[in-house]
Amino acid sequence: MAEENLKIASLNDKVKAEIDTWVAKYPEGKQSSAVMFALKLAQDQNGGWLTTELMDAVADYLSMDKIAVYEVASFYSMYEHKPVGKHKICVCTNISCMVCGSAKIVKHLEEKLSIKMGETTEDKNITLKEVECLGACVNAPMLQIGENYYENLTPEKIDEILDGLK
Amino acid sequence: MNVNIEINGKELQAENGKMLIEVTDELGITVPRFCYHKNLSVSANCRMCLVEVEKAPKPMPACATPVTEGMKVFTHSPKALAAQKAVMEFLLINHPLDCPVCDQGGECDLQDFSIGYGEGKSQYVEAKRVIKDKDYGPLVATEMTRCIHCTRCVRFGQEIAGIREIGATGRGENMEIGTYIEKSIDSELSGNIIDICPVGALTSKPFRFHARAWEMQKHNGVAVHDCTGSNVEFHTLRGEIQRIIARENQDINDSWISDRDRYSYLGLNNEDRIFKPMIKKSGNWETVDWEEALNFTAEVIKNGVGTIGPDSLATLVSPNATLEEFYLAQKVTRGLGSHNIDHRLQQVDFRAQESDPLYPGLKMSVKQISEQNAILLIGSNIRKEQPIIAHQVRQATIINNAKISLVNTQHYEMNFNVSAEFADDANILNNLLALAKVLVQKDKIDVDKAFSKLISSAKVTDNHEQTIAELKTDEDSLVIVGNTAQTMSNYSQIKIIASFIATNTNSQLAILTHGGNSASAYIAGAVPHRGPCNQVEENGLTAQEMFNKDLTTYIIQNIEIEKDLIGGDSEEVINHLTKANTILISSFVTDKMKEYATIILPAAIYTESSGTYINVSGTHQSMNAITEAKADSKPVWKIWRVLGNLLNINNMDYMSSEEVKDEVLDILGDKDMQSSINWMDFELDQVSNRAEYKVKPLGIYAVDSIVRRADALQRTADGQQ
Amino acid sequence: MRALTQFFKSLFLLELFKGLSLTGRYLFAKKFTVQYPEEKTPQSFRFRGLHALRRYQNGEERCIACKLCEAVCPAMAITIESEERADGTRRTKKYDIDLTKCIFCGFCEESCPVDSIVETRIFEYHGEEREDLYMTKEKLLAVGDKYESQISKDRGEDASYR
Repeated sequence: MAEENLKIASLNDKVKAEIDTWVAKYPEGKQSSAVMFALKLAQDQNGGWLTTELMDAVADYLSMDKIAVYEVASFYSMYEHKPVGKHKICVCTNISCMVCGSAKIVKHLEEKLSIKMGETTEDKNITLKEVECLGACVNAPMLQIGENYYENLTPEKIDEILDGLK
Repeated sequence: MNVNIEINGKELQAENGKMLIEVTDELGITVPRFCYHKNLSVSANCRMCLVEVEKAPKPMPACATPVTEGMKVFTHSPKALAAQKAVMEFLLINHPLDCPVCDQGGECDLQDFSIGYGEGKSQYVEAKRVIKDKDYGPLVATEMTRCIHCTRCVRFGQEIAGIREIGATGRGENMEIGTYIEKSIDSELSGNIIDICPVGALTSKPFRFHARAWEMQKHNGVAVHDCTGSNVEFHTLRGEIQRIIARENQDINDSWISDRDRYSYLGLNNEDRIFKPMIKKSGNWETVDWEEALNFTAEVIKNGVGTIGPDSLATLVSPNATLEEFYLAQKVTRGLGSHNIDHRLQQVDFRAQESDPLYPGLKMSVKQISEQNAILLIGSNIRKEQPIIAHQVRQATIINNAKISLVNTQHYEMNFNVSAEFADDANILNNLLALAKVLVQKDKIDVDKAFSKLISSAKVTDNHEQTIAELKTDEDSLVIVGNTAQTMSNYSQIKIIASFIATNTNSQLAILTHGGNSASAYIAGAVPHRGPCNQVEENGLTAQEMFNKDLTTYIIQNIEIEKDLIGGDSEEVINHLTKANTILISSFVTDKMKEYATIILPAAIYTESSGTYINVSGTHQSMNAITEAKADSKPVWKIWRVLGNLLNINNMDYMSSEEVKDEVLDILGDKDMQSSINWMDFELDQVSNRAEYKVKPLGIYAVDSIVRRADALQRTADGQQ
Repeated sequence: MRALTQFFKSLFLLELFKGLSLTGRYLFAKKFTVQYPEEKTPQSFRFRGLHALRRYQNGEERCIACKLCEAVCPAMAITIESEERADGTRRTKKYDIDLTKCIFCGFCEESCPVDSIVETRIFEYHGEEREDLYMTKEKLLAVGDKYESQISKDRGEDASYR
């Protein structure tokens, strides 16, 4: 999957149309404000990660300097610069989750999937990622898969979640 | 409006809204800073300039705190010093302790402030972070571990160079200043990031490890590779120039210089440099002493003038020569009865030259270009021709939102917003005539038949109308004719129409010329149609005409004909030179030059000779010799003086170059440059439309014999084109 | 009375004997004289003699051409020219000490961040012409190579005081 996507260097029409709707939300001449959504859309188009060519394409489309797009894409942890698995599990290890036992969650995940943080399973199904606070401290520990939050985690609950990802 | 503030207990008035650091800088109160630079925007991210402000709960950054009424500031209170010391400690956490091998050592802000404001020792015991070095090309060396993330270079790229090549990628401890992808930095102003980098992260690659800041002597000087007259500082060690850095002049170059001015010194010690006078005797070169060489030269000139007549002598002077050299060269040439003297190597169309202004230039300071509201650039790849003037044009687009229009034969990449670009492959005139046509039609200007016939065929588009409308607003506007236009076969028409457009839109007209000092050449009279300061005389041969017929003697000063003269590489030109007695006064001699020369007199390089340079806006700046003339080479003005004496020219007994300068400036008096501009009086129908002549203007790093020999410049992307 | 005493004193050569007794005492006392060059005085490990440039154990020269010694030298006896070596490191291409100018103050050694320039215990050297006393980089490195064991031992002894 990832290998053939390496060739994607331009945004497809659907993505462009969607970027346009975001650009329309900002005043004229401030199209660069839409860069974060444009990057997200480009990332989705490419199976979850960004190539330099795609970032260049975003820069061209929004008439931004290329380096400005690289800055944004390298700043935020939700943009990936290496191929990732089908499901990206983002585990929060910030202070609230840490005191509520995120270390145990991380360990369980690593053992269960036999990969380390930041790695992808051999079948390219799951990528583990350590992230900073996702704002769900009230129900710590937590993790995020796609656009869903899973909270109040226990090892049992994780087994359940992982079974659902197969 | 002024407000009353108090700094360190001293009451004073300051302009409302000014940043604190600007006020303290004016007062000479030191506030340490890394990220603040007066010619860049404020980013307030280094936090070094924290000062105590009364009633503020925390120390405030002086660079981002505007002064307000009744503000009480303490820059050296215990609270301020404690804040600065803490910031210093943080900055030093990841900074390597490699000052002994760092080129910035001795002129490093971090080093200085760490002594002035830091703690003597560090509490930090963990491992320091290490960043891989970037390859920024042949001019800038990097040592990114030393970077303290002040982002001056990032802001420079965005605000001054106009191309954002460097950025801050990653975040937190992983933040890196760099280009993200592997690429060199190609801006023609890139060297300035070395000057502004407060630490040793960005240093000069050609200068790398050559000398320390404290051991070099500093000499003020002027850059001679374009007509801007940028101020520079030469740093020498034991009589050798080690580097050139920018010298601030808020009227000309702010605190920036182009890479060409910064790195041209690399060409000074080329192996082509010659040190002994040489004479070709029956086909073989013989090294002789100065006395013999000069006597022989005088003999040759006298013989030529005596037997064939004064018109058989022609003098060609490099447009980078000094005012003194131009003046003495023309004095000797005219003293012998010849008017064949020129410096306009990159020009082919000399019609309308009688109507030239006193000197081609600009009737305002270079800085004032940034105050214009509309600029029309004609035949100019300004970024590569005069990078600092391009910087001021760019400033105009930023400060005044100025509308810039370009008329060229091809598309040139600019680093500022262009409101209209006319790039006509066939002929630059078509678009100029269209612009003139808009003016004639809109304003119902009466023009003569020839003119109306010329403009009748021009095709007008909306863009033309828009450009004229922008120029015609009440605000300041400027029409610039550039170097590329100068090389064109219908330069005279371009000038006439440009002057027509400027006059009728109430804009200023600026002529930018090739070379560093052609204003001096015009004033000193190193042109065939004028003596010093516009005294009209009988016309001599222009640089092109000199090679249309057989002359007996050519005196050529610091020119490589085959590279510097338009069409100079043709067999015909070389043939004329080979047949005649060709006297080269030159610092560099190639094998090719030896083929056609008869006598070679080794000239000192411009840094080894005192002299005066007049820039495009008429500012004259004199420079002392930075180093001594190497070996047996002699300053050119002295060579001309002795030649003048040997040839019995009157009043050639100058003791110093200042005497020559004073003589010229006396003649110049307070004459005004623009008052004499009268191209419009020139009959257009005399100027028939010539066929466009395909010329390739010299590249940015091919403009003169010194720059061509600066190998680091040749290795840049611009140099390789 | 005074004249009388003076008379007897000089008559019996009293002062002469007084002086001779001192001479006699020292004739039999323990001797200080060092029979140089057969005998030598003991030297401190901080002795400041002839200069040397040191190398690391792997043979790499220590000097990094920071030019601090050149800057600090009060007699301006040191001349350094630096350049980038092929491997990208900062090195000297010329390191000269003019011993006829040097005042052996030891500032160069003290300013050196890498313990490269040192002053050894050697003080017995001579030159038949001026050039012999002009130490070039090669000569200095040769001195360093020859006496490295002594030099490093001396630095070791001094280490706790630095």
